[in-house]
Amino acid sequence: MSAVATGVGLAVPGASAATELTTGTAEGAAPVDPAARIGKKGLRHLDQATRLALCAARDALNAAGLMTGDARLTTAGGGAPTVAAELLVPAESVAVVVSSNLGNLDSVCEVATTIAADGGTRLLSPVYAPRLSSNVTASEIAIRFGLRGPNLMVCNGPTSGLDAVHWATVLLAGGRARHVLVVGAEPANDVVRRLTGHAHPFDGAAALVLESAAAAAERDAPVLAGLDGYVRTGSLAGCVTALGGVPRAWLAPRPAPADVLPGVPRHALEDRWGPASGALGVLQCAAAVGHFAAGGSGPVYAVAGTDADDAVAGLVLTAPAGAETGNGEGRA
Amino acid sequence: MSEHAGWPIAGTGAVAAIGRSPAEIFDSLCAGTSGLHPMRGFERSYYTGDRLYEIDDRGDAGDVPGRATAFLLEAIAQAVAEAGLDERLGDIPVLVGTGLRELRSVELWARDGVPFPAGELHFGTALRERFGATMTHTVSNACSASLYALSMGTDLLAAGAETVIVAGVDTVTESMVGIADRLQSVAPDTVRPFDLDRMGTILGEGASAVVLRRTEDPDRPGPGRVRGVAVNCDAHHTTAPHAGSIAAAIREAHRRAGAGPEDIDLVMLHGTGTHANDAAEARAIRAVFGPAPEKALMTAMKSMTGHTSGASGLHSLIVALRAMADGLVPPTLGLNRPIEEAAEFRIVRDAAAPADLALAQVNAFGFGGVNAVALVAGRR
Repeated sequence: MSAVATGVGLAVPGASAATELTTGTAEGAAPVDPAARIGKKGLRHLDQATRLALCAARDALNAAGLMTGDARLTTAGGGAPTVAAELLVPAESVAVVVSSNLGNLDSVCEVATTIAADGGTRLLSPVYAPRLSSNVTASEIAIRFGLRGPNLMVCNGPTSGLDAVHWATVLLAGGRARHVLVVGAEPANDVVRRLTGHAHPFDGAAALVLESAAAAAERDAPVLAGLDGYVRTGSLAGCVTALGGVPRAWLAPRPAPADVLPGVPRHALEDRWGPASGALGVLQCAAAVGHFAAGGSGPVYAVAGTDADDAVAGLVLTAPAGAETGNGEGRA
Repeated sequence: MSEHAGWPIAGTGAVAAIGRSPAEIFDSLCAGTSGLHPMRGFERSYYTGDRLYEIDDRGDAGDVPGRATAFLLEAIAQAVAEAGLDERLGDIPVLVGTGLRELRSVELWARDGVPFPAGELHFGTALRERFGATMTHTVSNACSASLYALSMGTDLLAAGAETVIVAGVDTVTESMVGIADRLQSVAPDTVRPFDLDRMGTILGEGASAVVLRRTEDPDRPGPGRVRGVAVNCDAHHTTAPHAGSIAAAIREAHRRAGAGPEDIDLVMLHGTGTHANDAAEARAIRAVFGPAPEKALMTAMKSMTGHTSGASGLHSLIVALRAMADGLVPPTLGLNRPIEEAAEFRIVRDAAAPADLALAQVNAFGFGGVNAVALVAGRR
């Protein structure tokens, strides 16, 4: 099962373009301001991961040419709010697959501790209601942009972002959608810091539009990368073996031993952007798109998960057809 | 193999408030046994609605973490055993649909400091430990999660997989119960699907699992076949379901199975007992089946198990398999005066109804407008 990427969107502190994902850093960068990016209206009742996801998703849909407009909510003449955007393909043809492990944890914890502290539910704010179901991010994206295809929320641990990309290719292969918006989003907040033990977790989102090569060609959409060869195995060594061959570069999980893919240039994105949990795999695919856009050659491997986790997932990203191969980023 | 012939089901497993196996659950349903009980895991005095459909596994020890994981493993082990699979699952895909993951454990961690590693939020960690499974996927798709996972499983079979395990699981979170309690002006006394006096839903707990095969083992005939699964999204409103979108999912499931409304013998209703769900579900069924479906019997099992959320779609599917095998449809409790939209539906009430059944439709709709509809055939 394979697909091509035709659009990328980022809501990453410190990176405004995919080409910066392997060179920039979140250190010292200002947080993403979702209200400035997509308008304040409609954000109040949403959690941080969903706000970030909406920004990245909007940009990916625009970049892929599936939608025009900035998708801000407007209220004209006091009526129901409308979304300033137009979908250019049938609503049923676009699926949404979101990956996030930690997105709604702060809301869940806030409500549970408030009940215990007060000895009842009197003090609970109804604003939390939609955030207590883990699929809030995927469904809010569908509602904002009017995407009526299959809507999946993948919460699958450290590999979750690459798993989400895999399920997008399954949806395409099975004919359930012609285009899939894949989003990885994670928030930084005190609950996440305490649960994961990470002082500076990723606070952002990355989005991709995936479709079949034929669907992209049919609407003359520029291809940014090819995606293929997903594997999920019990170990890092097993994953790299299953991916096969030797890539030109690889996007590595943070604690990857030096003897794995020796000599192949590696980008441990979490060193730059913080532990990214369910967003990592999507961020890696966006980084591969940036690598190709900057003239880098393929194939590039994306690998998420370590031997300390339940599994390690991998994906092969290839340079768009017609791009230079064989030179680009040399051996380090 | 075309999807019209269907994917063989080789094994089933289920746990709920009213039973610890598919047979126990089915017998309880047919006997009209409800799992509704005063809250076991939470402090009753905090809530105006103080009853739930919990599984009674904690004794008097208060609440403990990891219960969703334990129920999931129990249901999968049952399904694996019935299918005659080795428990070392290796790279056999295991797809788990859930609404609330292990969020109850996160609540206990946040509130009481009960240790909880982040790696146990998704079920892959426990599935690796117990079954050696590495191709595991946790999908958090609210109340249609297990049928969504079923659609993904059938797609993997279509793409060449030989065996796929699909499961659903949920336990009740205090945050979800609490916010419902806060928003309801009057707490529901029980779940009354499609009744004029329905007052809302009440959560239940449980897990459900099926083993699907690409081809049937002739020496081991299973309980039925999955004929087709449709999924879509309303893209309309977080909590207000959209009848048109649900109807589209029903039609798509029929199309995938090569069947029409006239072929359906049994509809396992989503039937949560909320005003919005039951009205929208009834309107969607009318749009596809007409206002007075002559053939299809219907039932809403949440009146006895409560809303088992992510597990509920497969719970309904497994009950449908039993109903077709035994020729018996469990009743819907609490349904005295049907809503106008469903007035001419043949919803089984009061007592289990004998019937000759070959093809069932299973509905599951979730928070955020995620709809899934499956068609399942009994063994013939």
